[in-house]
Amino acid sequence: MQTRMVRSFQGLLLIGMFIFFASKAANGQLTWYINSRFIPLTIFGTIFLAVLAQVIFSEVKRLRREQETGHDHDHAPAPMNLWFMLLPLLIGVFIPARPLDSSAFATKGFNTNSPLVSADTSAQIFETDSEERNVLDWIKLYNYEANTAQFEGQKASVIGFVYFDETLSEGQFFVSRFVVSCCAADGFAIAMPAEWSEAATLEQDSWVLVKGTIKSVMLNDKVVPMIVAETIQPVPVPNQPYLYP
Amino acid sequence: MMPAGFFTWLWDRLNVFATVFLGIFVEAVPYLLLGTLASGLVEVFLDRDQMSKWVSGRPVASAVSGALMGMIFPVCECGVVPLTRRLFHKGLPLSAGISFLLAAPVLNPIVIFSTAAAFGWGQMLFWRMGLSLLIAVVTGLIFSVEKEADNVLRPSLTFFHEHDHAHDEDLPSFLEKIRKALLITADEFFEMGRYLILGAVLAAALQTFISQSVLLTLGSGPVLSVLIMLGLAILLSICSTVDAFVALGFVGTFSFGSVLSFLVFGPMVDIKSVMMYSQVFKKRSVIYIVAIPFMISLLSGLIFNYVQP
Repeated sequence: MQTRMVRSFQGLLLIGMFIFFASKAANGQLTWYINSRFIPLTIFGTIFLAVLAQVIFSEVKRLRREQETGHDHDHAPAPMNLWFMLLPLLIGVFIPARPLDSSAFATKGFNTNSPLVSADTSAQIFETDSEERNVLDWIKLYNYEANTAQFEGQKASVIGFVYFDETLSEGQFFVSRFVVSCCAADGFAIAMPAEWSEAATLEQDSWVLVKGTIKSVMLNDKVVPMIVAETIQPVPVPNQPYLYP
Repeated sequence: MMPAGFFTWLWDRLNVFATVFLGIFVEAVPYLLLGTLASGLVEVFLDRDQMSKWVSGRPVASAVSGALMGMIFPVCECGVVPLTRRLFHKGLPLSAGISFLLAAPVLNPIVIFSTAAAFGWGQMLFWRMGLSLLIAVVTGLIFSVEKEADNVLRPSLTFFHEHDHAHDEDLPSFLEKIRKALLITADEFFEMGRYLILGAVLAAALQTFISQSVLLTLGSGPVLSVLIMLGLAILLSICSTVDAFVALGFVGTFSFGSVLSFLVFGPMVDIKSVMMYSQVFKKRSVIYIVAIPFMISLLSGLIFNYVQP
């Protein structure tokens, strides 16, 4: 009886994990946790969890048969191992999902000029239309191009969340994104300043589409790109809240 | 009475914790499943006689071949732990198993290509692979002194004992073998998952409450910068398949030697892998498995910092 109960619990946990992963895949929230290039592997893992649940439930059936004939040779896993698997499910159910935002800045910090990718990729960004560049592209460009004056006056259109910081003057805020290589654990924030007369009406961490022109400014002794905003419109959290290096 | 601001602060911390924790968990689960599946298949399809035919008894040859086995079994640091334990159970010598454990997460085709994608086919790739091989072989050789595997390994419940097979009158069919392999996969997934979860909780808690930016601003000086990168490798607990892209973010702030030590040490030791080691190895062995790579990574980081600052 004991073994069968443990096995049934194990089967239920596998189903629970399957539902957790499948629902995250279905509502698009996997990208809140991992870089999208791992999604195919995660989908494979999700299907495999269902296969394992099936194997465990057929084991429960087999145990019932064997018990009737007096055999019981199964080694059930230690119940303690099973209880631990409840933790991610509980966290997933009871703490509302939220992608990394400015509340992570306190420990993860944020950067306005991180040397993120080797210089050769900046050539590609250089060729893309200025309105196609995202926050990361602009920061890379300013890192690797010696002559930043050439970007001044270019049209820019970037999406990010709003972050107010005391290093900026009134009417200015940061447009920020997290950059994730693997999962949220390695995420780090990047930000470019923006200037808008009505900046005070914006809410911290709200997602916005900022359109305007680029102006080079000095921030912490470095030249960084700033958007002088013409229009700002609120947008929903993008399908991929993080940028990938 | 607590100010309302405190609860907002706490709620924000909790949200960061949940996202980072689930990030590590969601990322690691498929890799852990692949590792435990490999372990289940090894259990049912590989017998001890075959193993002894493949593996050399001489310590150096056995440690080197163990370190290069990752080219055939491309696993990362979550999957390698259950697989190594299973191979030990099948009679793999300690020296080969330990060097496989340490080298496989780096010396495999996936990581070679991801490192090359980040740093190009140059010095960083060469030294990362070379030093990982060196550390794995040295640690493997140190373990080859110990002849009794039971002094190094902890006993496990997921090993089927002989009496399990006694009532299978004929040789088990192929489907029966697959069923058994999947049963082992499921059990080991929970057994190792427990330590993965513990490690992810710790790593997420540290990331929620300890400021990385403070750590990074400390990062100057040839000695301190290496120590900080080694600390960061432990703290971040990133999968070896992508850590090269993360390391790229530190180039410029940190010297070549410091980033190299991050790339060599990180796949061998981080919070979640140490948790998983502690389930497979006895405490004294875990200390060796952590300390030897730490010392060699530190030393090589220092040498590079002084030779090419």
